[in-house]
Amino acid sequence: MSTSQAIYAGWMEIENSAAIEEARRRAEDDALAALVDQYAAALYRVAFSVLRNQADAEDAVQEAFLRVLRHRDSLGEVRDHRVWLIRIVWNIVLDRKRRAKTRPETDDVADLARVLPSNGLSAEELAAAAQHHTHVMACVDQLPEKERQVLVLSAFEELSSVEIAAVLDITESSVRSRLFRARNLIAGLLDHARNPK
Amino acid sequence: MTTNPHNPSTSASFPGSAEETLRIVAGLPAPAGLEDRVRAAIHLARREDSQRQPNGSGVDRRGRVLAWPRALKPQTVWMRTAAAAAIVFVVAGGGWGVYTRVEQNRPARILVMPPRIGAPGGFAGAGAVRTPQTLTRPTVSTSVQPTVVAPAPAPAPSTATSPSSAKQTKGAAPKIAGKNVTAEATAPQQ
Repeated sequence: MSTSQAIYAGWMEIENSAAIEEARRRAEDDALAALVDQYAAALYRVAFSVLRNQADAEDAVQEAFLRVLRHRDSLGEVRDHRVWLIRIVWNIVLDRKRRAKTRPETDDVADLARVLPSNGLSAEELAAAAQHHTHVMACVDQLPEKERQVLVLSAFEELSSVEIAAVLDITESSVRSRLFRARNLIAGLLDHARNPK
Repeated sequence: MTTNPHNPSTSASFPGSAEETLRIVAGLPAPAGLEDRVRAAIHLARREDSQRQPNGSGVDRRGRVLAWPRALKPQTVWMRTAAAAAIVFVVAGGGWGVYTRVEQNRPARILVMPPRIGAPGGFAGAGAVRTPQTLTRPTVSTSVQPTVVAPAPAPAPSTATSPSSAKQTKGAAPKIAGKNVTAEATAPQQ
């Protein structure tokens, strides 16, 4: 049977399209694996800074990449993959945080004490440091939501104010003004905690 | 970090504690093997997806031509033609079968409704006519008798002081405030 007859019959086209499909799938897998290798740690840190729980943060990262898998067709249109992924995981953790509002704060203290770096501190010093950090995080939790979000994201050294604005879908000037307000508010809260009078 | 120069307490208290804490939390290392676990989760999701979608791509993006089974691959054009004719025959035959079984031009059934009859034992108006409520007319509390005017006396003679005329005048009923007071009623009883 000649090639033209095979094309006319149709099955040669099937074999070609299957090969193209397979190659495309392989390329998508490779791209996704590269994204996981490159950004999974950063996404975990973003998730942990909000959820403050290792297992929850890891779940959030997995969910973020599963969302990427579902929308992998639009992967080629994304300009900045890092900001795009942080935005996805940010939305996931905010949603989870909203749903888990009833969780007792003592869990946060225990988690923080477990994951903090020891840096040669004694057990007592480490416990005191963990308590202090937990107190600071409680003050951060008292901030209004908009200010808190900007403050938490600003702690990531790899995120500029432009990128924070892209993650939160606001302007850069809004990021700056919210950050300024957040710093003033948290300073007031910490001063009030030190000097209750 | 931007600090507020007009607020010394802000500049003094914040950088030492809050920022440091946030940086520590933001800089915590990811647990070991995170990438492997994420990759495994993606692989599992992809496999489940491909089990649902036979083409393995998750979403069927375009139409595809069905392939013949290898054992029945038509080697010549006439077999394809015969297969196409068989498909056309089956489809047309099925359509014809459905067409002939469906009853056509079925006249619509018209139900004549009986005239409506009033239900026996129901309420009736009994000829009652409703009269609208209007204003009540004014009523007089005391009964008033119609005034009877005495006939006019005959023209008196020029001498009005004669005894006969005086008698006639005495017999006439006096008129007091619209009430007719007769002579008998006014005369004292003897």
